[in-house]
Amino acid sequence: MLPQSSMGNETNIKLPFSFIIFSLIALVLSQILVLINGQMLVNGSFRIPAIWSAAHLLVLGWALMVAMGAMYQLVPVAFLTKIWNEKFGFIQFFVTALGIASFSWMLYVSPQNAFLPGILMLLGILMFLFQMFMTLRKQAKPNILTAFVGSALVCLFLTIFLGITLIYSLQTGFAAEYYQAIFKSHLLMGVTGWFTLLIFGFSYKMAPMFSLSHGFPMVHARYVYGLYMSGLVITLISFFSDNSYLLKAGFFLLLVGFSVFSWHVSIIIKKRLKKKLDHSFSFALAAIGLGNLVHLAAFIALWTEQFSILIGPLVYLYLLLWIVLSIMGYLFKIVPFLWWTYKYSKEMGKRAVPSLKDVMNEQVVVPFFTIFVIAVLAVFLSIIFKSIILFNVGQFVLSIVFIAIALTILNVLKK
Amino acid sequence: MNLKEKVLEALKSVYDPELNINVVDLGLIYNVEVTEEKNVDVTMTLTTPGCPLHDSITTGVRYAVQGIEETKNVEVNLVWEPAWSPDKMTPEGLRLLGR
Repeated sequence: MLPQSSMGNETNIKLPFSFIIFSLIALVLSQILVLINGQMLVNGSFRIPAIWSAAHLLVLGWALMVAMGAMYQLVPVAFLTKIWNEKFGFIQFFVTALGIASFSWMLYVSPQNAFLPGILMLLGILMFLFQMFMTLRKQAKPNILTAFVGSALVCLFLTIFLGITLIYSLQTGFAAEYYQAIFKSHLLMGVTGWFTLLIFGFSYKMAPMFSLSHGFPMVHARYVYGLYMSGLVITLISFFSDNSYLLKAGFFLLLVGFSVFSWHVSIIIKKRLKKKLDHSFSFALAAIGLGNLVHLAAFIALWTEQFSILIGPLVYLYLLLWIVLSIMGYLFKIVPFLWWTYKYSKEMGKRAVPSLKDVMNEQVVVPFFTIFVIAVLAVFLSIIFKSIILFNVGQFVLSIVFIAIALTILNVLKK
Repeated sequence: MNLKEKVLEALKSVYDPELNINVVDLGLIYNVEVTEEKNVDVTMTLTTPGCPLHDSITTGVRYAVQGIEETKNVEVNLVWEPAWSPDKMTPEGLRLLGR
């Protein structure tokens, strides 16, 4: 037997919670911004200051901050190594929070002056990347999860670098002929690179953990990694070479990589011991299927003449039904765990303590998440069919359900 | 009831908060040794290495055993080999999982 008395890898709960609380506020604000600029969106004007601001509040203020907070909690769990420097983590939080808040505000009121706040945000993200690099290098035995999470972090760096280049180009005219290619690469690296690879990586730890699966193969993960990474690289090259064949090949590899991931997770879930899965986790699993469908739709759209019209709404669907739904599903598991650990872990064995299920109101998950999916589809259809009424109804419901979800999560802190 | 039996009974009050099953029925307790001096040595595992409830569960086990009046020193050894597998669960544990 190999004894291990204590690992002591836990992160100070205040660190992940700081990120998560900031993110919930950003989520609510982003929805309010989208709601008051609905007319522009329906008319197909995605590239307006208010939408830039809302998109960055949603993607950076909410999703990135949640991902960072979750990583401060999950990296020690998945990689069996302590966070390199917690104090540095708190400083990183303040720098990034200030950077994202000022950047989003500046995008709204004066986008041409967003460069300096962008640099502050960049600094915060670079500090995060440094923290993760220092933490991961301590890992005794790197594995396929390290490859997913490490590559996701590289994609995050590229996303920010390309984003800053875009703003610099807008200000000075630098690399103006490559503006479109840089913009597409920025989206690709951020959405399919950083977020998807990160969710893939942590799903391989969380899916077996939440379903208590045992005896499943892991060889598929290598194919997922190889196929998806090849898809990312080839798609990236196609943007700069303006080669439609390479673009099709890239999208095809991304689709196949994602499909193998879906198949692999279904194998893991079939090997589960826990017969009845938690609702929030079930929605996180459903998000995989929905993300797969969007990949398929994007690949099919590529062969039609409507691709340039469809890709914007499809990116919206991918963001909401794959990335946001996955994160929300896992957030309903992570937040109760963090709070339970803070409040009850020292009481276990001394007195009866509540279970994690008692901490979170699971009953709201099915109605809230179902309404969320329907509202996202309504907004998607309103953009396709240019229906302002459908958009307003869909976005209003979406904003309300986002706020309700944020409050439900914050309510855990009362338990 | 001897001390070893009392320890196992006390450990049934320590639950995996995610699964809501106690550590004994979950098959996490590999061995309990009681010396003549009433020192208790618990050898246990977790369902997966890097389980985020690692310290909570092992501390809970320690507190539960320390709560028995007769015990002197309590040692909790966490081991990863042999790895936990479902066949280590009790029929009650399996029932609680819906199997």
